[in-house]
Amino acid sequence: MRNNNVFSRLARGQLLSLTQEKIVFLLAVLLFAVFSFSLTGFASVDNLLGLLYNVSVLGVLGLAMALVVIGRGIDLSLIATMAISVAWSLTLIRDGVSIEAALLYGMLMALGIGIINGWLIAYAEIPALFCTLAMGTLVYGFGRIALIPVDVVYMPADPGWFGALGQGELFGIPAPVIVFVLLSVVATLVLRYTRFGRYTYYMGDNYQAARITGVPTRPMLVMQYGVTALIGFAAGLVTAASVDSMNTRIVNSTMIYDVILVVVLGGIGLSGGKGGVRNVIVGTLLIGILLNGMTIMNIEYTVQNFIKGAILLAALIFDSLINPRDEQTAQQGDI
Amino acid sequence: MSVQETLTRWRNKYIPDHVVGEILSKNWIDNTVPFLALLATILVFGQVIPDFFSLSSMSDTTRQLGEFLFIVMAMMIVMVGGGIDLSVGSNYALGNFVALYLMNLAGLPVGVAVPLVILACAAVGLLNGILIGYLRLRAFITTLVTLILVRALVDMLLLRYAVDISMAMPESALWEYIGIGSPLGIPFSFLLALVLVGVVHLFLSRTRPGWHIMAIGGSRKSAYNVGIPVRRMVCISYVISGALCGVAGALFAARLNSAGSDTGIGLEIMALTAAVVGGNSLGGGRGSAAKGLMGAVIVLLITNGLVRLGFQSGAAPLALGIILLAAIAIDVRWLKNRYKLLAKVYVSPAYLALPPCPDTDPGSASPYAQNDKLRNVELIGLGEVEGPEDVIFDADGHLYTGTRFGDIVRFRAPHYDQPELFAHTGGHPLGLAFDRDGNLLVCVAGMGLYRITPAGDIQKMTDETNRTPWSIIDDSRLKLADDLDVAPDGRVFFSEATIRYGMSNWAYDALESRGNGRIICYDPATGRTRTVLRNLIFPNGICMAHDGQSFFFAETWACRISRYWFDGPRAGTVETVIDDLPGYPDNINRASDGSYWLALVGMRTPSMDLALKMPGFRRRMARRISPQELIFPNINTGCVIKFDEHGTVRDTLWDLGGENHPMITSMREHKGYLYLGGLLNNRIGKYRLDDADPEWTGMTSYWGGVK
Amino acid sequence: MKNKARTLIASAVAVACLSGNALADDKPLAGKTLAFVPTSLGYDLTDGWYNMLKKELEPEGLEIIVRDPNWSTATGAQALVSLISQKPDILMVQNPDVQSYARLLRRAENEGIPVLQINMRSSVETTAFVGADWVGIGKAMAESAVASCGDGSGGSGKISLVQGPLTSASSVYQMQGINEVLEGRDDIRVVSSQAANWDPSQARAITDTVLKQHADLCAVIDFWDGQAVGSAAAIRRQRGGEDVLLITNGGTEQTAACDNIANGTFDKYMTYNVREQSTDIAELVRKILTEDIRPGGERLDRTTAVRVIDADNLRDDSCWKLSDYK
Repeated sequence: MRNNNVFSRLARGQLLSLTQEKIVFLLAVLLFAVFSFSLTGFASVDNLLGLLYNVSVLGVLGLAMALVVIGRGIDLSLIATMAISVAWSLTLIRDGVSIEAALLYGMLMALGIGIINGWLIAYAEIPALFCTLAMGTLVYGFGRIALIPVDVVYMPADPGWFGALGQGELFGIPAPVIVFVLLSVVATLVLRYTRFGRYTYYMGDNYQAARITGVPTRPMLVMQYGVTALIGFAAGLVTAASVDSMNTRIVNSTMIYDVILVVVLGGIGLSGGKGGVRNVIVGTLLIGILLNGMTIMNIEYTVQNFIKGAILLAALIFDSLINPRDEQTAQQGDI
Repeated sequence: MSVQETLTRWRNKYIPDHVVGEILSKNWIDNTVPFLALLATILVFGQVIPDFFSLSSMSDTTRQLGEFLFIVMAMMIVMVGGGIDLSVGSNYALGNFVALYLMNLAGLPVGVAVPLVILACAAVGLLNGILIGYLRLRAFITTLVTLILVRALVDMLLLRYAVDISMAMPESALWEYIGIGSPLGIPFSFLLALVLVGVVHLFLSRTRPGWHIMAIGGSRKSAYNVGIPVRRMVCISYVISGALCGVAGALFAARLNSAGSDTGIGLEIMALTAAVVGGNSLGGGRGSAAKGLMGAVIVLLITNGLVRLGFQSGAAPLALGIILLAAIAIDVRWLKNRYKLLAKVYVSPAYLALPPCPDTDPGSASPYAQNDKLRNVELIGLGEVEGPEDVIFDADGHLYTGTRFGDIVRFRAPHYDQPELFAHTGGHPLGLAFDRDGNLLVCVAGMGLYRITPAGDIQKMTDETNRTPWSIIDDSRLKLADDLDVAPDGRVFFSEATIRYGMSNWAYDALESRGNGRIICYDPATGRTRTVLRNLIFPNGICMAHDGQSFFFAETWACRISRYWFDGPRAGTVETVIDDLPGYPDNINRASDGSYWLALVGMRTPSMDLALKMPGFRRRMARRISPQELIFPNINTGCVIKFDEHGTVRDTLWDLGGENHPMITSMREHKGYLYLGGLLNNRIGKYRLDDADPEWTGMTSYWGGVK
Repeated sequence: MKNKARTLIASAVAVACLSGNALADDKPLAGKTLAFVPTSLGYDLTDGWYNMLKKELEPEGLEIIVRDPNWSTATGAQALVSLISQKPDILMVQNPDVQSYARLLRRAENEGIPVLQINMRSSVETTAFVGADWVGIGKAMAESAVASCGDGSGGSGKISLVQGPLTSASSVYQMQGINEVLEGRDDIRVVSSQAANWDPSQARAITDTVLKQHADLCAVIDFWDGQAVGSAAAIRRQRGGEDVLLITNGGTEQTAACDNIANGTFDKYMTYNVREQSTDIAELVRKILTEDIRPGGERLDRTTAVRVIDADNLRDDSCWKLSDYK
């Protein structure tokens, strides 16, 4: 403890206060430099765009998650919402509903899930972790029983503009990357300059105080989860358009953990009130660089996972050494 | 008495609605919601699944439950310590792999392999523990990363060894027995898990490390500040969690001999669900082995039951999601509202019709007529004693009194000008008495009956009595020992004013005015404590009659004085001496002329008298109005009266303006003076009795000329 | 106990046979129960088997019950255990891997329940097996790649493998088949061998990166059609879908297979036709139940032939439609 303090003071004085975001950013830059020198073809514009393409869905999901995490929540139903609502849209399209109408239905379903999440958290006062955990399995189960007959739903033969969302390009930049950038810009503006954004930070910082000072915390929660689900739906559209199908089995995968990692790794604390879009971008970049480099090196998938985990752990440990938590100020129940 | 009043009286006599509040205040009530959920689950699935209760079906279910219970316990122990362990599923898979490797490939005997498995998984726990306990990383994100790490490790190992493992079958009868054996018809793993549940229960509720972990979960900061080794204990909780995962992994390996790659995937979510459905709080401080057990059974029955019912993919997740949501919603509501509900329903007023109140107007012919006799009392220890409920004198004439700080303070004769600390009890000392040997006996609220030797040593005499049969509140502990007196043979009779409230909220008992109090006898000769009289309405003062065979006792809210014979020809009978006091009686003490002094702590008011006949009104009041606004008995002004054993009031002393003695709870005659104490006063009054025996002391009256 | 159970079963069978004879001949399987434990319902293979079997055998009086473990081996094992104690007349199991259910399958057979394994052999041999030869599929895929990319074909010889989960048994066997073919060949170079975990998004990301690294990539072998659409999307985006061969396999369901073959998404498709398999299964079930084949007696084995479908030999009836059977 004592050593840590000394260390942290030194660090604060000399290293210009290293936050987790900066650590992760430095790590990303470092990896980037290493890969650029050691891997042929890594630093090419084409590969870098591909890299961005590959993580843009993760990044969009990260934005969605960041919104609720900043408000001291979490949304574990994000992947289920995304997969089931989009898969339902695709099913409807295959059944002959027009693309626009089907997507509208899917969007309304996602929004509905988000609002139910928010309502349960705000009014029934169920902890977000459990509410969304339960909602995730519930949505998946309901979707598989009632809405979607098979676990992989394919895109229709002629998806039109919808297909361009995944396959199209603008000035040589793939559409998913553009979607990620656009959403990042919008999220930055909303979080920074709108009442909705500022209230989200207040609620994350101190929910009770925000409530007492007149922030409409309950409607705010409903809105946050609604918006998060909508962004999740958008991420699902991009996924579906880029691989011509929606695989509902991803609900049972560890994808939700990857999304949380992107958010937390970037430096948005799970205790809320901190961080922003920049953190999501930094976290996404690190994961993207890692995955891309390792794929180029043809490292086995399981080893990739191991390396990814080890690097994440290293980042967490480093952050804890630099910014140790204090026994006296740590919040109870802040896990 | 009108018909309606009769009905009210009967309704309050025969419908025991105070029981509701008492049940709600029990600790085990916390398990109600999960327990009802468990019952419902068993009932529903028992109905819809054919031969659900058949032996083979039960045996299959419980065998799987065995492994799952280990995982849930692993999760639960970390959760009560304020953490979370998401790596249980991966760790379980690791345990499975290590067990298979050691048994199938390395060919080790079971006795060596299983400890090694546990060690391997405990090592993962240790990693978690060091990171979270010592390096203070966040539990959620850290175990999330170890989940991925360990899963990747297991996958790498499986790639390398899975084929070899599946080719070999260990030739160990013991291993086979662990996997599919059933001692006493109960699957081995389930038996082991039941033992574990017992051990975990004892660990958390009866051992120091268990308490420490619970304390850390309850309030990490406070635990740290009282010196609990927070970091080490947090680390240990993760190591335990890891080791339990190892056992579960070994059991799974023995059961299926499967090196499948999906072992333990999603198990952390199931375990978390089970722990929470059982009522363990995320964030710590609330949890138990029983809760974990209930949660595990519920979750497993539901997931298995839905598969057995043949539902398609999606049904199990759907049902699990709905149940998890419902369970948590109910649990959250329950936690939030339990104390609110308890506060609302606990106060349960009874019907009490007091006789008409006698006149107390000055100048009236009433024996209680007001006067100003106490106006000019001398004051002792003004501002130096807080809450001297009772005062008493020893053989040397020194004055003793208790204070609300838990001290017994002594003023030395003859001037009584300097208070000195005689003893510190820790509770709030109320009634005082001296025994034959000069020991000071004291009723300490919240603690019990204590004896203080002349040297100031404190000894416990008793703090419990026989529990009332069928009582819901455990009334064996003494919560509010009030006043006492000593019989000639040394037996101590003392009153406990109420068993439903403590020192901090005894005034609520007035709202109830139910027979919640009792009189208890402690016999130092045998060391036995026995309740002698039950269902008294706030029994308060107790005073030995001069005959040595009976005592007088006051029931405060009933405004009455009764006499109880514990010896002699009338032993066991109770006789009411005065039943229509104008105020609320408190302590009774002997007077030098053979009669008795009685303090009235406050005076009756028509409104309160009326309210006592309207239990419904008081119930509504207690539920709807903040405690500050409730009607309580008036205790702003009081008086001292002197009565004889026939109930005739001989004298009344008032302080009309309430300047010196607004509240009087006790008085003690000593050498021609009357000394006055008050529970809410900061002084002791000294009043000169003109016609009293100037040599009379309590000690000689009780114990004759000893010393 | 065991004897008693046997007698009971025997008498039950006898009664069933008698009543079967007594009844009209169009319900020869009346009163019999088939229990099916797939890896999970809800995808083309299992839905196909289940629904085709229902359509085929239910009119003959067979009762089909299904327990859906939803990709969980532990749940599947539990379902098996409870089914064994319910004693169906025949147990149909799709193994998730070679050994997880081995012990339980042996127990079922010991208790007199004939076990029919589909599409994945367990390490324990049981009464019957119907299914694809995963090693054979791997071989066929590799041979197809060799034909198009190896010496004399004009291809670069570079191929990329997109596997399922590395620990998944079907993936492991396909890999084994591929290795057998490529062993010792130096005209074919595997430039990347990555696991996409049956997830098209991951397959897309992997193939995307590999294509960027190797501009002259000749073929992509993807281990499952459901995930191959991801690889296909990456190829289409970077190469217009033309000069990279995409080889995959699957259960030949219309939307998953033929639609994608027709529009050029898949170039070569190795098929183990679920329709044929279902016919085989129905035949074996009839045989076992009517001829009263007991565990330990005759072994019935139908390995599904592997065929290659491509744009040239694609016919309207090459694939089956799930909607026809529901």
